[in-house]
Amino acid sequence: MYRGKEGQWAFILHRITGVAIILYLLVHAGELTAAMFGPKYSNAILHFFHQPLFQLGLLSVIGAVLYHALNGIRIILMDFTSWGTKVQDKLWYGVLTLFALLYIPTVIKILPEIFGGGH
Amino acid sequence: MAIRTRKFNVAKQQASTNLELIWWVFMRLSGLLLAFLVLAHIYANNIRISNTEIDYTYVATRFSKPLIKLLDVLILYLALLHGMNGLRYVIEDYIQHDGWRNFIKYVLYVLVAALMISGTMLVFSFPFHKVGG
Repeated sequence: MYRGKEGQWAFILHRITGVAIILYLLVHAGELTAAMFGPKYSNAILHFFHQPLFQLGLLSVIGAVLYHALNGIRIILMDFTSWGTKVQDKLWYGVLTLFALLYIPTVIKILPEIFGGGH
Repeated sequence: MAIRTRKFNVAKQQASTNLELIWWVFMRLSGLLLAFLVLAHIYANNIRISNTEIDYTYVATRFSKPLIKLLDVLILYLALLHGMNGLRYVIEDYIQHDGWRNFIKYVLYVLVAALMISGTMLVFSFPFHKVGG
């Protein structure tokens, strides 16, 4: 059932995206804390993270969140329904299809903003 | 199965199945809520507008809305706890050395606690908008 099949890829991707998201969240929650100390520090830090490199990172994190959310729903279906585990491989292809349908338009929307010189 | 150890730490781990079960349930519940909350958060701050437009004024305006205060504190707590426990699973799976594993876990717990406190302070350091205003 495991070993190189769909379930294992789903698991590995869930782990990698999960670790990426929590590491991002630690920075994200810390970064915004500067807003407590007024516009000067806050704008400096927000502006720093508007560099293309960080924006590309953010676009990747958005993809990570999307996969993690969709596959998380797959895990819940596997755990709480009688049929979930029987069709877990089909569910995973559903996850990948939904991911592509939602993430491709997101990339098309955001990518030009990164290199088009934001405000 | 024979008793594997007499070490207090390991015995405590073996006795902690109720807590592990509570975390297991929490991961599913918070995960389902977060799937909707975080995707809405991304839609509001990355799709509806460009992320590069975000400045102090945007942050301050957003955090002065009562509903956003409530939702953002909820999303922060759920996401930090969900992420903290997820990272704990990963740490416990891959870091074999007892000392390093415990050290990294405690650093993580302190960091998450600090961000829950500072995040709450942040959200409530902005005045409440007038209702309907």
